[in-house]
Amino acid sequence: MQYLDTGWFGIFVTVTIVVFVLFNIARAGKSKGEIFIRRIPGLNALDDAIGRATEMGRPVLMVPGIGSLDAVSVQAVTIFANVTKQAAQFGTPIRLCCADAAVYTLAQEVIRDVYQSQGMIERMDQNSVQFVSDRQFAFAAGVQGIILREQVAATFLLGAFYAESLIFAESANSIGAIQIAGSTQNTQTPFFIAACDYVLIGDEFYAASAYITRQPVLVGSLVGQDWGKMLIISFVVLGTILNSYEFKQPKTTQRVDTTAEVRGGNENVSSIEPYDGDPRTKTPDDTFVYRMFNPIVSPEMLTIEREKEQVEESVEPTEEEVTE
Amino acid sequence: MSGFNADKLQKIDRRWLYVILIVSVAITLLVGKGTEIPVYPDDSSKDLYITLMNVPEDKPVFIQSDWTNSTRGESRGQMMALLRVLMSNNRKFVIYSMGDPQAPQVARDAIRMVNEERRKEGLDDFKSWEDYIELGNFPNAENSLNALGNNIRSAWGNRRRPDTTGVDRSVFESPVLANVQKVSDCGAYVVVTASSTIDFAVERISDKVNLNAMVTGVVGPTVLPYKRAGQVKGLAIGLKGVYDMEYMMKYGLNHQLEGGVIKVDYPQKPEVSLPPVPNGQTFGQGATNYLSLHIALGLMILAIILGNVGMFVGRKGGKK
Amino acid sequence: MITNLLSLGWDVNPTDPNKWFIILGVMLAGGVGAFLLSKAPTSSRRSIIVAFTFVSGLFWVLKYLWPEPIAFREGDVPRNGIEGFGKYLTDGVPFVSTLAQTLTAFLLGLGIFSLLRVHLTKISRKQKDWQFSVILLISLVTVCFFGYWDWILFNFRMKDVLVSDDPSTWTWVNQVQDILFDGLLQNMDAAMFSLIAFFIFSAAYRAFRIRSVESSLLMVSALIVMLSLMGALTFVWNSAVLQASGGNPVHFLSNFRLDTIAGWVQSNVQVPALRALEFGVGLGALAMGLRLWLGLERGGVSQ
Repeated sequence: MQYLDTGWFGIFVTVTIVVFVLFNIARAGKSKGEIFIRRIPGLNALDDAIGRATEMGRPVLMVPGIGSLDAVSVQAVTIFANVTKQAAQFGTPIRLCCADAAVYTLAQEVIRDVYQSQGMIERMDQNSVQFVSDRQFAFAAGVQGIILREQVAATFLLGAFYAESLIFAESANSIGAIQIAGSTQNTQTPFFIAACDYVLIGDEFYAASAYITRQPVLVGSLVGQDWGKMLIISFVVLGTILNSYEFKQPKTTQRVDTTAEVRGGNENVSSIEPYDGDPRTKTPDDTFVYRMFNPIVSPEMLTIEREKEQVEESVEPTEEEVTE
Repeated sequence: MSGFNADKLQKIDRRWLYVILIVSVAITLLVGKGTEIPVYPDDSSKDLYITLMNVPEDKPVFIQSDWTNSTRGESRGQMMALLRVLMSNNRKFVIYSMGDPQAPQVARDAIRMVNEERRKEGLDDFKSWEDYIELGNFPNAENSLNALGNNIRSAWGNRRRPDTTGVDRSVFESPVLANVQKVSDCGAYVVVTASSTIDFAVERISDKVNLNAMVTGVVGPTVLPYKRAGQVKGLAIGLKGVYDMEYMMKYGLNHQLEGGVIKVDYPQKPEVSLPPVPNGQTFGQGATNYLSLHIALGLMILAIILGNVGMFVGRKGGKK
Repeated sequence: MITNLLSLGWDVNPTDPNKWFIILGVMLAGGVGAFLLSKAPTSSRRSIIVAFTFVSGLFWVLKYLWPEPIAFREGDVPRNGIEGFGKYLTDGVPFVSTLAQTLTAFLLGLGIFSLLRVHLTKISRKQKDWQFSVILLISLVTVCFFGYWDWILFNFRMKDVLVSDDPSTWTWVNQVQDILFDGLLQNMDAAMFSLIAFFIFSAAYRAFRIRSVESSLLMVSALIVMLSLMGALTFVWNSAVLQASGGNPVHFLSNFRLDTIAGWVQSNVQVPALRALEFGVGLGALAMGLRLWLGLERGGVSQ
């Protein structure tokens, strides 16, 4: 990446948070006592939901969203592994529907591992994990069909959901299923809140596996995240104070962003010029905080002399040869 | 007695709600076509109009069109409003998708429809290769945007399109892209989307281009933080955003119409004064659908009030 | 040694006569690799996966952290190793992206296999509603068949005229494909999406009840935002406000214009809340990514 584009500050913060997380993972591995995690009602209801499905003899439906294979869907599948573990013990049928082939492959492996580790591989239905479609609304129609036809008793909608969220949640609501949902897409959270019994909001979704399993690595990572939050909160507070102060100051300089020709190409450059307009207070791009993320880049910084590559003379056929 | 009725108000069968909704919206769509409703455009829509009307003549606009037919109620209106502004100002554009393999086709359809409108008004068509380039779909928005921000010449280098004589040539030989060496050489970058591809655009290229977005009503709130932070310059949200754009295309911004009337003002930016678009159609899908949005929202508010009245009366009845 | 490796680059020159040997070599190596992997003892599989994940992730981590040469032009020679490696990483982005996309494309085959297994089982056992499975399989085959045929006609000159976007050049195959795609699929998509309007309606009716202070606040702000979306209503309201304030746009009452209140709710209540949520989600994703990359994530199943 070009540090001149974004400044070093953002990267510094990212690296600091990474250090926080790794440090706390290392620390949690050594500590004996359990670290407190606040109550998350949606995750406490997990057992109830599976219990209800067992009583009714109907399946539990799990959907890891429609995102591709990334941190979100891996986290969703991880939570589903815990759900499956309990379901396997009670012999409750499960349905895990995927919209992405890579997520499907992962989910299938993980779910098989869960049944195997429980010594109940014979209880696993080969078709319990299925790929439905990678077209968003074909997937929505397919899963809605499964919800209504199989009259699922509980649904777990966890992952990256988009417009299909309400189709699932309302359909399952109409048949009285107990629903636990959570989406990293904040746009969908209101829909889930309106139609589901329990909703994981924002990063509660990422806290889920730490909450359920209490594995030191996961709990440590959660503590690291909290440190990161503290860091961000302190930056927000400091930034607010700094900007509030600066916005009261008179404007004496102005930032000029332009492009300049440097070594045969256009580059974005910027400079600070004296301000001689009507007296006024500082504008957002005059502030220290703005410069942290938008450094001043002068054309001189970009003028770096480099040698040119030696282009090998290709043997071109002479005109004579061509005409022949 | 009142308790019984109140309970009914709380438990109206959802099928009745559905019937009322579909009938009233359908009737409005059929009857209320093209009704001009006075509107106060959002500031974010005004900023988008400012960007689009100020695109330098020699720079192409990059349009990342990630919507499909499912959200055409909002997204196609946005797309067509965008195309109308660009075409009437004679700005070249590049159009491609990073969200969905179906997206290029619906974008092509939208271009065709705007071209038909222009033909009806006696204006020139926008021609592929000369006036715009359609690059098709790039799978995996995050990777593709990364590659685009990294090196546009290698990211798009293998795309070939027929020129005016029908011969396939590299897109960088077209008049549209000939002067583009890197992504920041675009006049403006507009993402028309119904999904989170706008997040990736903010992450990967917002520091390199003048990034703007036209998003559906549902996605809108998540883009607002980026708008407030200045990472997204202009933003049209949902059907209201479409109608805002169409309204400004017709009446301008901080622009004195005949009789000295200013229909759309922008008190925060008094230095801006933009006329209506020079030619072509202004009102379109936004104007057609805006009245039905009123009806749908009105019905929803009514239903919520009914439910609450039912709950309160029922509670009182229960206390007796 | 490293400089030699870097100078190899990511791409093979398409005119290089050796390219077929390279392709063959890579395929052979891939085959041998796959064979060796299948023979690897179960206990070592985890470490192999962790190693693979680490190397793949390392590219993007380095790409993010390693300084990129500035003002670098086509044909420039990097001044030192740092610049050289930065350029090497930058050049690698298209290659690595393509690699990821190719892998994903192969996985789709697995997905289709799952689809076929589920529905063929259903048909062969004559389970409930097996007829729908038949329709699904027929649709799958038909769309694939016409989709590819259409693609071939578009991209390879089969007859005198090249098929283009212009419908007059279409053959019957393109017509059928158009009906399947534009006529059916697109509209079925739109129909599914429009269902949401009904669901939002019934969900709002059911869930929006004033039961507590919080829900009352939520209701009031939702009503303001919904009302502000209705241009006609905003216009009437604002005109009334303007009249009450005696036509003075900077009067205290003009704070109560509907679009001003809605704007205030959005930018001072909604945006900060969303921003806070996004920070949390971002941190969560970062920590999750880190655990995956370093092989610290062990499936998360409680033992």
